[in-house]
Amino acid sequence: MNRKNVSYAGGTLCLWAVWGLLTLTPGKVPAQDFDFERLEQMARNFTVVIDMKLELSFGIHTTDQQERYLGTIVTEDGLVLFNGMALGENVLAAFSPFTVKTTPTKIEVTTLDEKKYDAEYLGVDRFTQIGFIKIVGDENERFTPIRFQTGRHFEVGEWLTLYMLLPEFVNPSLASDVGMVSLVVESPEFFPLTVGFSSLQMMSVLFDGELEPVGVLGALLNPSHANTDAGGMLESFSQFGIPLLGVVVGERLEKLIADPPMKGQPDRGWLGISLQALTPEMAQFWGLDVSGGIIVNDIMSNSPAEKAGLAVGDIIYEVNGGQVAVDKDENLPIFQRLIAELGPEASVELAVIRRTDFAADTLKLFVALEKAPLAATETPTYEVEFLEFEVRDLVFADYLFHNLKPETFSGVVVAKLKRGGLANVGGLRLGDIIQSIGNVPVTSIEEVSAIMKSVEFEKPREVIFFVWRDNKTLFVNVKTDWD
Amino acid sequence: MHKPIVVVWSLLAATNISAGMPGGVAQEEIFHARDKVMPALVHIQPVIKNYNTGELEKRAVIGSGVIFHPDGYVVTNYHVAGKAERIICTLYDKEQVTAELVGGDPLTDIAVLKLHLEGHTGKIQVAEFGDSDSLQVGQYVLAMGSPLSLSRSVSAGVISTKDRFFSPDVRLPSGERTGRYNLWIQTDAAINPGNSGGPLVDLSGRVIGINSRATLLANNLGFAIPINIVKETVHAILTEGKVTRSWIGLHCQALQELEEYFGTNRDAGVLISSIDPGSPAEAGFLKAGDIILEVDGTPVSARFVEEVPAFYNMIATHKPGTEISLTVLRDEQTYTFKVTTRELGQLQGEDFECKEWGCAVKAITRQMQIENQLTDTIGVYVVGVKRASAAEDGGLRPGDVITEVNNEQLSSLGNFITLYNELTSTGTDGILLTIKRGGAVRFVFVKIDHQDKESADE
Repeated sequence: MNRKNVSYAGGTLCLWAVWGLLTLTPGKVPAQDFDFERLEQMARNFTVVIDMKLELSFGIHTTDQQERYLGTIVTEDGLVLFNGMALGENVLAAFSPFTVKTTPTKIEVTTLDEKKYDAEYLGVDRFTQIGFIKIVGDENERFTPIRFQTGRHFEVGEWLTLYMLLPEFVNPSLASDVGMVSLVVESPEFFPLTVGFSSLQMMSVLFDGELEPVGVLGALLNPSHANTDAGGMLESFSQFGIPLLGVVVGERLEKLIADPPMKGQPDRGWLGISLQALTPEMAQFWGLDVSGGIIVNDIMSNSPAEKAGLAVGDIIYEVNGGQVAVDKDENLPIFQRLIAELGPEASVELAVIRRTDFAADTLKLFVALEKAPLAATETPTYEVEFLEFEVRDLVFADYLFHNLKPETFSGVVVAKLKRGGLANVGGLRLGDIIQSIGNVPVTSIEEVSAIMKSVEFEKPREVIFFVWRDNKTLFVNVKTDWD
Repeated sequence: MHKPIVVVWSLLAATNISAGMPGGVAQEEIFHARDKVMPALVHIQPVIKNYNTGELEKRAVIGSGVIFHPDGYVVTNYHVAGKAERIICTLYDKEQVTAELVGGDPLTDIAVLKLHLEGHTGKIQVAEFGDSDSLQVGQYVLAMGSPLSLSRSVSAGVISTKDRFFSPDVRLPSGERTGRYNLWIQTDAAINPGNSGGPLVDLSGRVIGINSRATLLANNLGFAIPINIVKETVHAILTEGKVTRSWIGLHCQALQELEEYFGTNRDAGVLISSIDPGSPAEAGFLKAGDIILEVDGTPVSARFVEEVPAFYNMIATHKPGTEISLTVLRDEQTYTFKVTTRELGQLQGEDFECKEWGCAVKAITRQMQIENQLTDTIGVYVVGVKRASAAEDGGLRPGDVITEVNNEQLSSLGNFITLYNELTSTGTDGILLTIKRGGAVRFVFVKIDHQDKESADE
């Protein structure tokens, strides 16, 4: 995967944005008056069907799965967006060391004119769950991409339409549907809610009455798991399991298209704190005259927050001069997204309240954001072939999940274990943190690789691992099988 | 509602046993053993307390026990009566008496009760304890008790194995880890829920174990605590009210298949696999991978897991505060380390229900601190949070540690209770709790709706 392949004419995109701002709200068009024939003609240009082979690994069990998605070409050189929800790039991946790792192994793209292309997987945006792939093939081939409207005003009662992909046994398999804007939500984020669509249609392009693409169908996101600033969200706000669907608007999409997410290369900004919202009750209790803010609950060692001198208990009430309007935990994504989108190299000015028992001082701190840490599913693994298991480096989520400190704890994690394989039989378990191998401490997969190369040369009868498991340590004897 | 199933189960069990009993068994011997122990059998109905939902919940349960002293002392399982408050016992003559808890020990899952015999006119019979060290695999045994509440039941089988090992990570329903210091007698005499605390009896009519566990979805896999362990625990409870153990904070694993790697002989040494942070073992510079060869000059070994509990027990039976000398093999050299033991103390702290907030907390013991990776024992541990309560609305979760109430630093549970009572009696409508969750500090604002409270009080 070459990053250059996907950075394209930013200038053009700017022009689109300006154009988008100029075309403001068209009038309402009743659902029955949609020109579906014209829509289909238009959609032929940028709608594709993606056939994706996925490898799902639960660590000890791996299966392949064939998935079909509706894709939309968004750049001339073949960037395609699709529903990335199944790809596991979600909040659990960021916060838990134990998630299913989903790896696309083969991607085929078919246009509605039956032209076939290979494609490579780029990544999934954690905030919207929109996935991106890139068509590979003829460098000079130019596609006709969709151009989303930006700066658009949404009106309650306005009808929208979309295309959805039906199962393969139906022919033809593209169907359209209509839904209505039911509410324009302002908080926790700007989000025109819709009724009438289903989650099966997620990431389909939404068109208005003039058949202008206004966004894609997405879900309003619930931050309930996210108490650090390292990741995005998984859960949709929902009632009885029904997600609140609506429009991921053009501005958001254009940003993603200009700089699509790349798996394993997070370019989100990161502060390195655990956080919670300053509620009005707390502000009143402490006698603080601010209408919201972020309480710093923990500071990751060696993080930008630590380097900038932020302290546990500090209340961040301004970022770059702008007020942090977060007064309940549900609104934390406002802050999390702000930091993420400022990017890894951004220098940020934070206005902070530092409380003592008797007073509250205000101070300004300058933080140089860094890259967000890798999730367990993003970090590379090393396969110890002759013992039939894989290890990966410890990631942020491991330290957080097990309540361990990077200063005092190191090792590598058993990330994949072949059922009935030598390591499995010997007693290694998924999630074990190997701290040393035959008396030699290990801190990275490179070190494991070096040790294993000499083990392979010496061919001993057994390999002794010293592992951390459930807050205790133990020795594990794995018998080898050379022949 | 459940009765038909219960009957089918017991019928099945009975069929199994008659099929498994060869004709050679002297029926007379079974009658003899029955008559010696059955009159001492007790059907126990305690009410146990549970705080896991954030409020005090009481539940009546059923267990078994056996009288071992003419003053009315009964031995049963800790998980039956160790945390009970109202205990009703039905004796063999079907008369009911109340009982009080004398003491309990979660680590061996044993509790001692005293029957209130003031109003009881019948004769009290006492069962005799045998010797569990002289048992033989294959020996006939009888299990007595109240399986699925069917009191005065006897089942028969043999000792399947006498040194069954279970991981000390197994927890009792009340949350304590158990079984670190003993092995189990395994029997195929049918043991079902309700048999817990009842006697396992040999054909001479002596109690050789206290039935405590059965295996779900298995046929006749029951487990009893060997009576010699029970005797030690009962003695400690009767003399001191509790079992006092020494703690040095090390964990061991079987040396089997690792002797060569550590350069030790067969049957020599105990392998240290893990050291608790802040423990005497850590302070004494012991580390994982050390092989303990001798304790105060006595050679020790644990080549198999079955040998590990006895080693733990050997350390535990020292008086707390004793300096013990450990001869250790490390990197092919022998060293001697001195370690001063500390009292193991209680596994779990005392519970307290915060009714107005909608949560339950408990005192933090040192063992809880280690288990939950806490930095100290300061504060109170949140056991449960009631649904839709002020505490839940404020964001409190089970596992949190409350360290401050309204900016006031907590020291102990007692200190917390005082503060809590003060706040509830003054009618404060908002309390700020400072908590620790994982490594992070958080704040929880508990907002009391007094109108809500009044309507609840009515």
